[in-house]
Amino acid sequence: MAARGPQTAQRRDRTDRRAELLLGALAAAVLLLIAFMIAFVFAKAWPSFAHNGLAWFGAGGNLDEQLSAIFNSPSDPSDYVYTLHAWPLIYATALITGISVVLGTILSMLAAMFIVDFAPGWMRATLQPVVRLLAAVPSVIYGLIGILVIVPFFGNQVISAERKESVQYVIQLDGSSILVGVLVLTVMITPIMVAISVDALRSVPATWTEGAAALGVNRWRALRTVGLRAARPAIVAAAILATARALGEAIMLSMVTGSVAFAPNPLDGVTFFFEPARTLAAQIVDGSEGLSVKPFGETMYAFAALLLVSSAFLSFGGWLARRSMRKYTLAPR
Amino acid sequence: MTWKRPLAVVAAFAVGASLAVVPAAAAKPTITMSGSTSVAPLAALLAKKYIADCGGCVTFKLLQGGSDVGISDVASGRVTIGNASRDPKPTDPGGLVFNKIAHDAVCIVTNKANPLPGIDEAGVQAIFGGSVRSWSSVPGSSASGTIDTFVRTPASGTQDAFQKIFLGSTRLFSGASQKASNGLIQQSVKADPNAIGYVSLSFADGLHTVPYKGVACTERNAKSGQYGGQRNLYMVTRGPATGAAKAWLKWITKSAAAAAVVNTEWVSLQ
Repeated sequence: MAARGPQTAQRRDRTDRRAELLLGALAAAVLLLIAFMIAFVFAKAWPSFAHNGLAWFGAGGNLDEQLSAIFNSPSDPSDYVYTLHAWPLIYATALITGISVVLGTILSMLAAMFIVDFAPGWMRATLQPVVRLLAAVPSVIYGLIGILVIVPFFGNQVISAERKESVQYVIQLDGSSILVGVLVLTVMITPIMVAISVDALRSVPATWTEGAAALGVNRWRALRTVGLRAARPAIVAAAILATARALGEAIMLSMVTGSVAFAPNPLDGVTFFFEPARTLAAQIVDGSEGLSVKPFGETMYAFAALLLVSSAFLSFGGWLARRSMRKYTLAPR
Repeated sequence: MTWKRPLAVVAAFAVGASLAVVPAAAAKPTITMSGSTSVAPLAALLAKKYIADCGGCVTFKLLQGGSDVGISDVASGRVTIGNASRDPKPTDPGGLVFNKIAHDAVCIVTNKANPLPGIDEAGVQAIFGGSVRSWSSVPGSSASGTIDTFVRTPASGTQDAFQKIFLGSTRLFSGASQKASNGLIQQSVKADPNAIGYVSLSFADGLHTVPYKGVACTERNAKSGQYGGQRNLYMVTRGPATGAAKAWLKWITKSAAAAAVVNTEWVSLQ
């Protein structure tokens, strides 16, 4: 026994080293793959950015007509049309993602607090698996429900004929709108946020909230001031994950809002919510049929590049936010 | 731990062997096709009939993905035939041969609750161009209120055909709702009593098809050439077709059996 001890330890050591090398190689391969992907997308997208400069991000003209002109470019590569002002897409992406994530965060926070602290045992036992199931539903199913049920309902019942007439020469209000997009997207991203927040709230030591209770604070206040605060980094992580999912959501949004490259104007009052829009990801889905037309394909890659950059910024922002909240966590991360 | 390894090796062999068997059995020539979703249903029916007729002389592989996907696939040699529902464009790669296989009718459709008795070229251009936005100013319409126009995305073959055949130089209404497929237009028009849109004839089920210039959008009127809204369907090859593909294209354009298949929902060239 005494003689074999060090040998086994040594062997275990070697196995560890081998595993370390293998995992390291895999991690490096993943990094390399990401680097290649970014380089590839940007190389493909370059002509579109180079031709338009900063005006690419600006507003101007009708985006759908610009896309048609790009698609119908003449055959000579030196005559390719690239002129594009992508502002309506960028604006719609920020608008729909932003509203959905804010709504989703509030909803999921309340739901998580209810599940952790207020729900009776049997309800908690059913709610939790249901939330996890909802988080795993593929987005195309939400899209189908959206286009078969919600869009016609809004178009035929909710939006009045007078409202449709008031803007009829500018835009048509047929039900596919930012409101339906935000509604469905919120329903889509909330479950995953609830699941993460529940785990986070539960990992707050009972002694902390009990301490607060011992000082005479009621349950709601103890949860709000102690539990929520301690769980903040995880909640930020949940919001980041949800934002990433919302940013990349393409099929569903293409089905329920991705109709017109239009920048809805908040000054229109209630009508604003019934106006259609198209996000960057939905544009890539809608335009995928024309990828083989070179300038059109390069324009689609430019949209993809913008999405890549924004998700990179998102990860970085999330890291910063978590760093600044480190003081609230139990152990240094 | 160790007993698992031989098992995994055996499993790997079994998988490898089963994969190897498949190509070995298929010694017959294979025709691969990709492209237009409008052509795909026709191509599938034709292929089935062709295999039955020639006693299984070839095998087919059919993929979809839109006209431009088919054209770029055939240009790069990934497939034997690229299916396209649009006419050749100046940006298409050189050396391609567009073999016309059939005509297809593009129908103007409205909701069943609004059976528009007819429309002419000026009417189509006014509605889809956005200068007429209210059903009350469309003669014969039983709907009232704003017109909801549904069109295809700019990159679609059907949109290309619609612009050329019906709109000419009129620019599409910029507020029109864009949909990514024939099926989505069909669904949207079915769900909205104020809707108008256009689809390939085979997608007009459950909708009211509006007679164009006094001619109903039916398979018979399209065949007789009376119906104006027709487009061409193509099978594109790199250079003139050779071997099995040549025989297949000749069968489509010359044989009576193929014409019968085409004439179910499309219009044969014969």
